[in-house]
Amino acid sequence: MSTTNASTSTSTSTNTATAPRSSKPASASASSPYSWRQAMPVPRLLQQLFDLVPLATYSANTLPARSPSTTPDQLPTLYVFASDEDARFGAPSFNPSCLKWQTYLKLAGVRFHITPSTNHASPSGALPFLLPARSSPTDSPAPIPSNKLQHYAFAQGPAPPPELTSLRLEAYQALLDLPVRNAWLQSLYLEPAHAALLDELYVAPASSSGWIRASLRAQLRRAAEAEILRTSSSATAAVVDVDAVYAAALEAFEALAGLLAESETGWFFGAAQPTLFDASVFAYTHLMLRYLGPGEENGSAQAAEAPFVPARLGVVVGCAGAGELERHRERMLKRVWGEPLVDADGVRRSIE
Amino acid sequence: MLELHVWGPAFGLASIDAECLATIAYFAQTKPSADYQLIQSSPSAVPTHHLPALHDTATDIWITSYASITGYLSSRSSPSTSSSTSRSHRADATAYTAFLTAHAAPLLALSLYVSSANWASATRPAYSAILPLPLPWTEPPAMRAAMAARTAHLGLSSLDTDAEAADKADAGWVQVPAGLRRAVHPRPGVAASLTPEQAACIKLEGLAADVLDVLAEVEWDVPGQQTLALRCLAFAYLALMLVPLVPRPWLREAMTSGRYGGLVDFVQGARREWFVEGALPWMEPKASRDVVIRFAHGLAQDIPIVGAEWRRWWAQRRRLGLRTAADAEAEESMTAEQRAAENDKRQKTSVRSRNSDLIQGAGLALLAAVNAGMLFYKSANGEFFYRGSSPFGELVQTWRPPPPALAGFGAVGAMFSGMVMSEVD
Repeated sequence: MSTTNASTSTSTSTNTATAPRSSKPASASASSPYSWRQAMPVPRLLQQLFDLVPLATYSANTLPARSPSTTPDQLPTLYVFASDEDARFGAPSFNPSCLKWQTYLKLAGVRFHITPSTNHASPSGALPFLLPARSSPTDSPAPIPSNKLQHYAFAQGPAPPPELTSLRLEAYQALLDLPVRNAWLQSLYLEPAHAALLDELYVAPASSSGWIRASLRAQLRRAAEAEILRTSSSATAAVVDVDAVYAAALEAFEALAGLLAESETGWFFGAAQPTLFDASVFAYTHLMLRYLGPGEENGSAQAAEAPFVPARLGVVVGCAGAGELERHRERMLKRVWGEPLVDADGVRRSIE
Repeated sequence: MLELHVWGPAFGLASIDAECLATIAYFAQTKPSADYQLIQSSPSAVPTHHLPALHDTATDIWITSYASITGYLSSRSSPSTSSSTSRSHRADATAYTAFLTAHAAPLLALSLYVSSANWASATRPAYSAILPLPLPWTEPPAMRAAMAARTAHLGLSSLDTDAEAADKADAGWVQVPAGLRRAVHPRPGVAASLTPEQAACIKLEGLAADVLDVLAEVEWDVPGQQTLALRCLAFAYLALMLVPLVPRPWLREAMTSGRYGGLVDFVQGARREWFVEGALPWMEPKASRDVVIRFAHGLAQDIPIVGAEWRRWWAQRRRLGLRTAADAEAEESMTAEQRAAENDKRQKTSVRSRNSDLIQGAGLALLAAVNAGMLFYKSANGEFFYRGSSPFGELVQTWRPPPPALAGFGAVGAMFSGMVMSEVD
């Protein structure tokens, strides 16, 4: 028992943490051994026994770096799936829906910190959510769930992106919600080839215990499979038709590339500025190109000869249409993360 | 010859399931009726565990799901029909197909499956009419559960009053008579006398409008405007929304309210033009002993913990032996020595499959035993428990001494117990 778990971010008032070395319960409740002794006669035998085990007083714990009161210069905080280092630099999250809103808020010009978090921290059970800046130390603003973030960006952002009101957009949004999302789930969560990546992103940060990791991995897999089965048309099938999932994603990316080719501005639906839909597409294409691209370990020469593996969704994105989606991703990266990443201490880092 | 396995007809439409109906509409317009056969089926009867399923008897290929079937057919047909559409048309077709699957299907499921009144008086009888006995006891509830899962994200499970009634029945064995209940509970207000559909009326109308607004913007009536596969799929969903006569017709009313006249005309016109009376090549369903095995599997899937695993295992097992279109393509591109190696492998697998037949036999025996056990348990459990319990509680009342406390150990014990007490304080 060290000092790491003695104090959490909430126990700011406790400045001394006492840790008894023995398991005798009587010593734990006493704040000071002298007052305790005077108030109650103790048999000499017991007193000698307790004198053998002195109380050690540890110094106060510092608050964790992520605790809300120490965030500098009062910016709102976006809670996302991210590694600690990525959060420090404000790098892109590795979760599609987190990345979508992170990108959107940055497009709107909202300044915010990101903090690594998990579903369990969220009031709605889903990430991301945003905790607005506090006006005073005792202020406790209500968290904003992801479905209200667009209103927040309109109210707070200096340059909110234009809002598209096209019914055709709804149809194309369904492409992202269904085939593209299912392919992402299938490839990252269910392909054995990406098991190491899944561990690195979602499983390893949660626990260091092998048993808990294994159970978490199994839970994630089961949830992903259930989600694919639930949303695809094969509601009664007991197992996922993997080929169909990838074929649908291939078609979906072709359709998105076709839609993008129609636009003259380089953004979807001919908008002058990138919109929420651009952010949604970017969230998937960026992550697929970055994490599920052609295998780097093979070397580029072998990768070119290797057969077309549909699970490598990055390759699918790159091949869609005439490479429109890959160029769109680069434009978005340049616009949103164009400047080099700098953390609070002034250390620089690249995006990859 | 192509064999198309689909859910049977209902509500005056060619199939009760939207994707099956769309596939039938697609076949009716692209193939002469001598080229294919329609077979009434259910998911447990086909090795892909999902309908619609296409069986190409010439090559022994199984293809399932609407998108794969239309893709397979258009790849086989002459290229002139498939490549005539422009790139933006194809992109739109993909997008609207995804939209129908993502949004129209849950809406339809709310109306036909989740809503208890509609399920009990329209959908369930329709399933009973198209399934051979005893399958109506196992398959429609499984179908309903799957459909309810699809609509879970809409948060409208209140339409399903069966689940509520079951909760109430479980709540306690003391039944308060209705006359006394009125004294205990206040008189029910307006909210209690509304049907769940009326209570959720605004939300349902909003959902329906979200979907129908998007679909109404598209021109469905002009044949060249949309791809045939998309038109068939849209027709199938819209027809199942419009045609069935259900007791709580909120979806039908939303469609016929006047804002979506174009969609209604499209459905009615398509029904007249695409489906000629008696032109569909239905096969006579042949009686087989399969039904018993399918029923047993259906029962096994209802076993609380093991059921889901059993279902997966069975589905995976049946899929292993399947030949898909990809396999056929791979075989065509094989060289002679590869083919020889493949034959070798196949002989080995045939030995293995004989072994697995044995395993399957053992599995079936186990399954039968489990089912018999379940039936016995269900019927016998209640009775034995009732007989075994004495009528007015236990006959012999036994006094048990309280557990020994510290105070029982004399002076030292009293001191210790005092310490323990003070610590608690």
